[in-house]
Amino acid sequence: LAQWVLVELQGEVEPRQSGGLAGSLLGDLHYTCEGVPVLIVGHHILYGKVVQLEKPFAVLVKQGGAPQPSPAGPHGHYTVTALIKTKLLFRTRPKPIITHVPKKV
Amino acid sequence: AAMRSRAEVDATLQTAKLNPAELLPAVHCLSFGPQAGGGECCLLQLEPGLCAELEAGHSLVIRGEKDEHAVLCSKDKTYDMKIADTSNMLLFVPGCKTPEQLNADPASCNIIHSQIAGFSNNYWELRRCRPKLKKLRKLLMEDPYNGPDSQKDQTSTFSKYTTEDLLSLIQASEEEILHQLQVIDACKIEGYWRILDFDYEMKLLNHVTQLIDSESWPLSKVPLCACLEELGSLEPREMIEHILVSYGRKYVDAGEVFFEMHEDKICRAIAQMLLQNAVKFNLSEFEEVWQQSVPEGMTTRLDQLQGLALVDKSSRPETIFLLKVEDLPEDNQERFNSLFGIREKWTEVDITPYIQDLCAEKQTVGALLTKYARSSMLNGVKVYNSRRPIS
Repeated sequence: LAQWVLVELQGEVEPRQSGGLAGSLLGDLHYTCEGVPVLIVGHHILYGKVVQLEKPFAVLVKQGGAPQPSPAGPHGHYTVTALIKTKLLFRTRPKPIITHVPKKV
Repeated sequence: AAMRSRAEVDATLQTAKLNPAELLPAVHCLSFGPQAGGGECCLLQLEPGLCAELEAGHSLVIRGEKDEHAVLCSKDKTYDMKIADTSNMLLFVPGCKTPEQLNADPASCNIIHSQIAGFSNNYWELRRCRPKLKKLRKLLMEDPYNGPDSQKDQTSTFSKYTTEDLLSLIQASEEEILHQLQVIDACKIEGYWRILDFDYEMKLLNHVTQLIDSESWPLSKVPLCACLEELGSLEPREMIEHILVSYGRKYVDAGEVFFEMHEDKICRAIAQMLLQNAVKFNLSEFEEVWQQSVPEGMTTRLDQLQGLALVDKSSRPETIFLLKVEDLPEDNQERFNSLFGIREKWTEVDITPYIQDLCAEKQTVGALLTKYARSSMLNGVKVYNSRRPIS
């Protein structure tokens, strides 16, 4: 079973351009030498931490593209595609990146 | 979108005023995969043990008809599923490495292009629950087996259920279902699980007890072979063996198969046979007839009837009536409503057999009573009644 990672962000992610998120860039994920995850999204820097999940997640993928889960529960066939045991939690408020426009000399 | 280059990544770092010397060399460029917004992926939070089961290659199954709340089943446990919302956004990223993994593999790529497979702001939570097995009996009771000569069986258009059928219809794990089939003395006939019609079952039992009596076998040592020989002309051999298995404990002695008969279970079945013929009975009359009806050497006791019959000590004379726990609702609140509808006040001793099966793992009858009932004293005895007025 594949091992994936969960990235947890505060708030919502919206596409810069209309047309949905598929295919668009989110940002660059770095780690400091001490292992602190740093995410650069648009004009923001987010600092986070690596968390080992007490209760891992399974990623379920619906087979056959049936309708969305109903309130009574998810019906239909699902496959466990991956397990997630680690998450990168970004809870700190994003620091905005202020870009300087260099003065022409 | 075009893949980012190292130069672009470095430029972003510079703009962000981050010092590359303080960072690990590898960067993950995260983008949303083509399927990302599709909603076909969802997250399931795993209870202890389930992760290990998945890694060992076992599957989990979600079961439930459209009108039922879905449950998740491992091979031996059942869990209720509930959606948990979070105010945060959860992105699931394949192939994303942790700092440990990057440090462990110094040759790892400088740029890792990771596609976010999906995202969500909710996930499924699991809570261990009692398997929902009442439906199993209900399905098998649609067409109880009445013997090979039964007309109904040959022309029957009722549903018959194989193990596979039951697995898709019952909200319980396979082990829980197979265990329950054993508990209710179901048997497989021509590949279908069947429950015996009670009268037919008593007929079979009667053949066996009469034979035990006429052969003067000890109740603890009833030989299988002799039973099959003597009774094989009356009933199918599988049925004779089935009744012995249902009402006895099979063992082998000196290469031969014997059964140690369950006195309590036989007495209980005979009580049911007597009680089902009327609404209620005079207790002392019943006890007399009951003792006379059981096989020689067996002793009847009222505690054999727990969960099957209820004694009314307040009536004069005292009476007894049939009340089967398996006929009562499966849901906790509905069960208590039903019990308080039958009798306003219950002692703990009387109500326990009728709520014992509701106890979750590590839950006690006392805890159930605290939650669903209110206690008071009646003639110096603690009794329980409903928390709410019963209409």
